[in-house]
Amino acid sequence: MKVSYRWLKELVDFELSPRELAEKLTMVGLAVDRVEEVDGDVLLELDVTANRPDCLSHLGVAREIAVLCGTSVRYPETDQEEDEEETARVVSVEIRDPDLCPRYVARVIRGVRVGPSPRWVVERLERLGQRSINNVADITNLVLLELGHPLHAFDLEKLIGRRIVVRRARAGELLVTLDGVKRTLQEDMLVIADAVRPVALAGIMGGEETGVSETTRDVLLESAYFHPLSIRRTARALAMSTEASYRFERGADVEAPRCAADRAARLIVEVAGGRVLRGAIDVYPNPRPRAPVRLRRQRLRRVLGMDVPWDEAVRRLRTLGFHIERTNGEEVWAIPPSFRVDIDGEDDLVEEVARHIGYDAIPTTLPRWNGYGELLPGEERRRALRAILSALGFSEAITFSFVPESWDALFRSEEMRVCRLRNPIDETRAQLRTSLLPGLLESLMHNLHHGVRSVRLYEIGICFFAREEGERPIERERLGLVATGLLNERAWQDHHRPFGFYEMKGTLEALLEKLRVRHVAFQTSPQEYLHPGQSARLLVEDEPIGDFGQLHPRIATLFKFKQPVFVAELDLEGLLQKGGEAIRYRPLPRFPTVVRDFSLLVPREVTYAEIERGIAELGISEIVEVRLFDVYTGPNVPADRRSLSISVRLRAEDRTLTEEEIAAIQGRLLAHLRERFRIEPRL
Amino acid sequence: MRERVEQVRAQLREELAQVADLAALVRVRDRYLGRKSGLITQLIRGLGALPPEERREIGRLVNDLKEEVEATLEQLRLQLEARAEAERFERERVDITLPGLRPVFGARHPITLIRERIEDIFVSMGYSVESGPEIETSYYNFDALNIPPGHPAREAQDTFYLSEGLALRTQTSTVQIRALERRRPPLRIIAPGKVFRRDTPDPTHNPMFFQVEGLALDHEITMGDLKGTLQEFVRRMFGPQVRTRFRPSYFPFTEPSAEVDFSCFVCGGAGCRVCKGAGWIELGGCGMVHPRVLRGAGVDPEEFTGFAFGLGLDRMAALMYGLEDIRLLYENDLRFLEQFGF
Repeated sequence: MKVSYRWLKELVDFELSPRELAEKLTMVGLAVDRVEEVDGDVLLELDVTANRPDCLSHLGVAREIAVLCGTSVRYPETDQEEDEEETARVVSVEIRDPDLCPRYVARVIRGVRVGPSPRWVVERLERLGQRSINNVADITNLVLLELGHPLHAFDLEKLIGRRIVVRRARAGELLVTLDGVKRTLQEDMLVIADAVRPVALAGIMGGEETGVSETTRDVLLESAYFHPLSIRRTARALAMSTEASYRFERGADVEAPRCAADRAARLIVEVAGGRVLRGAIDVYPNPRPRAPVRLRRQRLRRVLGMDVPWDEAVRRLRTLGFHIERTNGEEVWAIPPSFRVDIDGEDDLVEEVARHIGYDAIPTTLPRWNGYGELLPGEERRRALRAILSALGFSEAITFSFVPESWDALFRSEEMRVCRLRNPIDETRAQLRTSLLPGLLESLMHNLHHGVRSVRLYEIGICFFAREEGERPIERERLGLVATGLLNERAWQDHHRPFGFYEMKGTLEALLEKLRVRHVAFQTSPQEYLHPGQSARLLVEDEPIGDFGQLHPRIATLFKFKQPVFVAELDLEGLLQKGGEAIRYRPLPRFPTVVRDFSLLVPREVTYAEIERGIAELGISEIVEVRLFDVYTGPNVPADRRSLSISVRLRAEDRTLTEEEIAAIQGRLLAHLRERFRIEPRL
Repeated sequence: MRERVEQVRAQLREELAQVADLAALVRVRDRYLGRKSGLITQLIRGLGALPPEERREIGRLVNDLKEEVEATLEQLRLQLEARAEAERFERERVDITLPGLRPVFGARHPITLIRERIEDIFVSMGYSVESGPEIETSYYNFDALNIPPGHPAREAQDTFYLSEGLALRTQTSTVQIRALERRRPPLRIIAPGKVFRRDTPDPTHNPMFFQVEGLALDHEITMGDLKGTLQEFVRRMFGPQVRTRFRPSYFPFTEPSAEVDFSCFVCGGAGCRVCKGAGWIELGGCGMVHPRVLRGAGVDPEEFTGFAFGLGLDRMAALMYGLEDIRLLYENDLRFLEQFGF
């Protein structure tokens, strides 16, 4: 909200430059975002917090300045000459729903000449960003800016029966509001009606037909108080927000309507002529005096951590407009002014005192504490995981949790149920992800579009799975990886080697090894988003933890990838529960290791894992490791076979192996492979 | 015999002058000092045939010659070896200005860097890290935080709803309530996490961002402690010269509430581009936990007081790394990510 420095000066005495004023207001909680000079005046742009609707006017800001500067506010003139004719004889007001409208004040001005406003009115309005309409409407707007209380002016002659009825709308009732929009009303909306029909949307906007126009002679001025929740609901339901609704929603001053009506009537006569009828109609069936709020000296000390001189505290409350009902050295009972709708408890008074002695005055201390702090369970392993992935060349991504439904569907099985947003910003991204892969692939696409062709990304994040109606969805932390392009783009030796299936497998193996996860196995993966010939499922301790492989070329085409893309997705929560045992050192071997290399002609259908398992079946304890070092197909190898070269490392724990022992092991090994798999040594 | 010695010496000098490498040197050595047929070896052997008076003199001559030859050969060997080594080094010389073969390294996300740093600072101050779900019920996201139905903060324009009672959390303050259900005060926790608001992306907004919530609850926690704690945090995060400023604000779940600013770590408060000329940068919201929030969680506000704060990690990342557009944070452009630490 903008306020005029010059206007404030009319309402309160202070000796502060605009900059100083901005600084002071900011430090009592009225943050000034901007100070701008406009033809001889200075406008301050205030960020008024939702709890302080009383500051949404010049008077409201002036009240805070008066407290700051120890001066007092000059209230605008409201007294005026009244006509012989009595308001109550001309018009009647009935509140049918006092729960939504506790108070309604009406004044009548007869014989106005509606026309353009005088210059001073136009200037004030325009400086603060409002358009001048006509002199009567302008005064209602001016009083809103001045006192903060919204008003509405009706053309009295157009109110059928010269009646005002405040009631809930009937379902389907229609009203064309001042903005020319025809609105269909619902039963819970509060309207101002005349004898037969709604003429205004209470507290939000008047009706077009009954508004003040060139031909208006008699004006009925409405100054009421409406219930904040009712106004907010109606405004939201109709997608409307006006200066009036903004204030009523936050809470207007229930004691302000009479004064605001008087002020406006006085100004209308000043700019548009006419005569104010005698007396106001003021329907206020249940005035509820506010209860005093207690502040204990001990509470003030306890919350702030300092001893504010008690007299000072009480004086601050008094200058803020609180009525001090009673006080002693230890407690004060204060009735908040009617405009302070935010005060309802002791700590609100603590804040009032703190605000005005200044938060700066509160000493800076550190709490005493004899506890200890710790990271989240599993956080150390998560940090290790990030470090390992960095070392493996993967950079960490963070992608949006909402994804296009069609993308997500590619990566989940049909029985999974998804969570949808009821009110997404972007309708095409209305689903909460069940997989990290769509987001990562989108990031990959972004990189490729920007000419970055070798990309390795990972993300650690939550995926969401719906359950039965009324049940909280499941959230599961997952780890996703994507990779494409060259292994090392900046290398100038071997620079053409691409990232492939075995690089992805190796990444996962290295990751698991460094996280000290053991009992790792691989099987074929059933995931349909993977290339059927290059996909694998990762198992730890016989439990599936995730899948990886080449992204199915059909999906790659959907994302317009022209190069093979490799992906992996693991259930991180499941993974972090595995392994991670404390490190125990194994003694280094005391006797030498002998290495024997074999080139084997292996039938195509025999997998490498079968060979490793076959060797393990022999139960030869001297075989300490089998290591693959070459795979070859081509000339000199029959078409139904491939050549696998392995090196077998032999060692005994208690002696140096003899040539005879080595030859015997070699013989058993080859014989077993021949018998079991029809594997022949390649010569 | 004497002439023979001189002849051998002269011949040797001539031959040595021809020696170009170690192989030639070995050949020369063998010819003169070879155990069987070396010329000098033969001379020594021939001494026995001389009469005793000559043997003594000639013997000394031959011996001198032998020593001279050995010394000269050794000297030459050293020279030749040095030369051979120098030649090898020259052959093996590389162009050290060619780029190194660097392994590919990834980088952690800037949000992670900041989150871990904040966690470490607060853990060292005795805080434990807590977490909570990203989908929350209205109870945790609103009611328990003194945001009753009808409050503007609950409106669908700010919150992503899944159903009537479920929404993506709009703040990490939800974890305060969950932590209070798990542990009783006294406690000190921080809760970093992802939050969601219905903001259309622009250079300073994303519909998804990260916050860290803090909560300290004890018998005698004061607003002074809140000030001191955040001052200490800012000092460690941004540097020892950085100051804080607290100004009144409003949050439904704190009373009194404050907005905390810190003096610009770039210009020190004089005003610059980073702080937009203000000298101060907004850090986040904070305050003393509202008694209604405490009572709702079953804590007696007469027995315990506490403070809470909420800081935005994205904003902090933008400030620390000079980002002008925070949308970069979630585009995951490798050219961006690679600029951050290991």
